[in-house]
Amino acid sequence: MPESESYALTVSGLHKRFGSLEVLKGVSLLAREGDVISILGSSGSGKSTLLRCINLLETPDEGVVTVAGETILMRKTRDGRALPADRRQVDRIRSELGMVFQNFNLWSHMTILENLIEAPIHVQKRPRAECVEEARALLDKVGIGDKANFYPTHLSGGQQQRAAIARALAMRPKVMLFDEPTSALDPELVGEVLRVMRSLADEGRTMLIVTHEMGFARDVSDRIIFLHQGLVEDEGPPAELFSNSKSERFRQFIANERS
Amino acid sequence: MDLAFIWTTFLRLIAALQVTLSVWALSVFFGAFIAAGVTWMRGSGVKPIEWIARAYIFVFRGAPLLVQLFVVYYGLSSFPVVRASIFWPFLRDAFNCATLSCALCTAAYQSEIFRGALAGVPHGQVEAARACGMSGFLLFRRVIFPIALRQALPAYSTEVISMVKATALVSLVTLWDVMSVALKIRNDTLVTYTPLLIAGAIYFVVNYLIARAFIFIEQWLSPHLRARSV
Amino acid sequence: MTALGFGERGWGPALLYGAVMTVFVSIAGLAIGAALGSLVAWSKLSGVRIAAAFGEGYAAIFRGLPELLVVYFVYFGSSAALTGLYHLLDGQGFLGVPGFAAGALAVGVISGSYQAEVFRGAFLAIAKGELEAARAVGMSRWLSFRRIIGPQVLRFALPGLGNLWQVALKDSSLISVTGLSELMRTSQIAAGSTHQPFTFYVAGGALYLAITSISDRVFEFAEARATRGMRREAH
Repeated sequence: MPESESYALTVSGLHKRFGSLEVLKGVSLLAREGDVISILGSSGSGKSTLLRCINLLETPDEGVVTVAGETILMRKTRDGRALPADRRQVDRIRSELGMVFQNFNLWSHMTILENLIEAPIHVQKRPRAECVEEARALLDKVGIGDKANFYPTHLSGGQQQRAAIARALAMRPKVMLFDEPTSALDPELVGEVLRVMRSLADEGRTMLIVTHEMGFARDVSDRIIFLHQGLVEDEGPPAELFSNSKSERFRQFIANERS
Repeated sequence: MDLAFIWTTFLRLIAALQVTLSVWALSVFFGAFIAAGVTWMRGSGVKPIEWIARAYIFVFRGAPLLVQLFVVYYGLSSFPVVRASIFWPFLRDAFNCATLSCALCTAAYQSEIFRGALAGVPHGQVEAARACGMSGFLLFRRVIFPIALRQALPAYSTEVISMVKATALVSLVTLWDVMSVALKIRNDTLVTYTPLLIAGAIYFVVNYLIARAFIFIEQWLSPHLRARSV
Repeated sequence: MTALGFGERGWGPALLYGAVMTVFVSIAGLAIGAALGSLVAWSKLSGVRIAAAFGEGYAAIFRGLPELLVVYFVYFGSSAALTGLYHLLDGQGFLGVPGFAAGALAVGVISGSYQAEVFRGAFLAIAKGELEAARAVGMSRWLSFRRIIGPQVLRFALPGLGNLWQVALKDSSLISVTGLSELMRTSQIAAGSTHQPFTFYVAGGALYLAITSISDRVFEFAEARATRGMRREAH
């Protein structure tokens, strides 16, 4: 068992059931600091569920998640369900993970700037001035510095997603989780979001990305994980996987996605 | 048309407006707290508690307010047990009974409004907050409540105005509100329409002002829904 | 408890009779409201500015007035009008409008102001294409209304009407001030006669709740039947 402390994120033996349907059947992965890992798979393969189990938006039935050396403690209820043992730990670990959602999920009653400083101030208890300054810098970085006082509904989809990325960055996360970040965007807006994500990867951020963007996955990732029906079918560097994967299904998958 | 009569009638009715508005304000205010409690019970996840909340809502929304008023005012006071209890100094007063009854009634309606508003909070925004490490009261205070509040405003405005109209019923449990003073003037002077018309105008204006106030509040709280002036 | 029962001195039958009266006067009120509401909805949809203005005025007025006030106004007013008419025809004395008629009219006038919105919304919800198809086939306005629009308006309006029925039921308790022997008034008389106010007001309340529950079932059934084959709205 590799030393957890040297990894940014480790997941081992994750199982997740929804009713009688087992969506994750024992998934493991390791992410070193600076790794960019793309998670590919057809719908129903469990990719989003995997991501959501990492920050406990879904509770895994079995398995261990360790973030920056800290293992999330779980317990079992009387009727056998798994629950996190320490809610404060969950909140703390979530604040170290940045999540970007498919539907942006910006808080509609707050301006973009307020969206960015909300969690740093109220969860991380950092001083307001510092949070505002950092937020403005992040908004400039993702290219919407002039939209700080706008409300989310006044922004385009691409702008909203970039704001959502900035919001995740404002928490100074150790690992960033992207759940199909461009799937809800009009095609012409996808590029601006991918550009931001690429620059984050170049900076050396640790990123886990569930995506359908094959080109992006191949060009930007250090590693690709291919999930099929709840299990890891194949994984490895993109060059290797895309040219000669040992998984027939993966070769089928990229062929389909290309067409 | 006797202008002097119209004027004195108007003044007498305005004086009685204080009773109407007191019953209204107190019942809406306390009703909100009761409603918060009932809504919490309704969503508690504990079956017996949920059931009590649902029964409460069924009874107080299903039965006419007049019946509820009479049960509290005439019904409770008929029990020697009640008359001997510590609640009696409170309950023997018609104003208190009427306000209590109205509060219990509006609480049932408000509770349904709260429930609908909470259910209408977009799930994704709640998840995003959780993903940042928010939970419990912080999550409720910063994300769920503000959004639910804005969603509840239109229906809440309607309910608040309904309560103004409902207070007219307290005239039937011996309170001297606008309605009962108007009827008294009619009985004393045998002039039917004038007192009723003036009373109607007063209620109408009060309701109009409340509606405008809510529109103002809605606009003030929802700059995110207005079109952006570029 | 015997006071509630069906024995010789029991008030059971009287209360049930009151309940039936309540149901009837509420139905009458709802029907009047439907007539007024359709009229107002039509006036708003017709595009004729004056008619729409009247419709809006009517709705605004009756939504801003306490229901009890409207009951008194209609009761006193219709009696005065009837007496006036009677005097014109050389009658003597005072003619009162029966509580049932005045009560139903009052409930109807109030209900109509809300039903107008329900009908208007229901009409607007009908796909424009269906109306155009009806005209394209050569149906006259009356025929297309009778065969296409009318039935569909009812389908879309049912949920709203279900709500307004419950409102009419509760408003009908106010008709008790006219002396009509509906459920509220009967409870009042029984309470006074037996000096058991709690028992009889609770019993009256329980009967109102029973009528409400039964009505709920009826409307659920009606809605299920009416929406057979209709596409469900996108969620």
